[in-house]
Amino acid sequence: METHDQPNMANDRSEDPSKTIAQRMDRVSDSAQQAWDRTRGAVTDLKRAADIDGRVRRNPYGTVAAALGVGYVLGGGIFTPLTARIVGLGLRLGVRLALLPMLKDQISELADSFGGEIETNKGRRGGAKAPKSGER
Amino acid sequence: MEMTEQIEATVREVGARVRPQIDEAKRRLSSLDETVTEYIKENPGTCLLGALAVGFLIGKIARKA
Repeated sequence: METHDQPNMANDRSEDPSKTIAQRMDRVSDSAQQAWDRTRGAVTDLKRAADIDGRVRRNPYGTVAAALGVGYVLGGGIFTPLTARIVGLGLRLGVRLALLPMLKDQISELADSFGGEIETNKGRRGGAKAPKSGER
Repeated sequence: MEMTEQIEATVREVGARVRPQIDEAKRRLSSLDETVTEYIKENPGTCLLGALAVGFLIGKIARKA
């Protein structure tokens, strides 16, 4: 191996340095072009696979919000006081929004039942009195 | 009764004065919404990458704070 390498090295040394630099530049440029093409291909494949264009067309604000959220998580903002505050606020709002209709229903049912009882009591009283007046 | 009528008249007057401004604001908001939606639809990659970057920055700031 060494015997083969020595003549090559000697050849390299004897070559024009500007030619070598140009060749290296060409190689670097080719590999950069290949890397760029591969990246573009990967991004296109990802776009096609995730149907990003379709999602953006169907729900533009939602997709942007999702990207914002992903960025926030990637930025390390998930276990922070700000997240805790936002989650707390969301939970409070959600609970209120979920509980209010339930409470409203319960109260209206209670009111209905009370109203019904009052009506029946009135009816009973009226009914009890009516026969008396009828008797009279 | 007179007091109630006066209040009603004032409210009606204020409503009539403010209504055009509210309508204008509504129209502007609707136009802005259309513009933003169109822009996002035309440049999805840019918008998503931008949103990702903004989210990343907010996350970093929240982590430091």
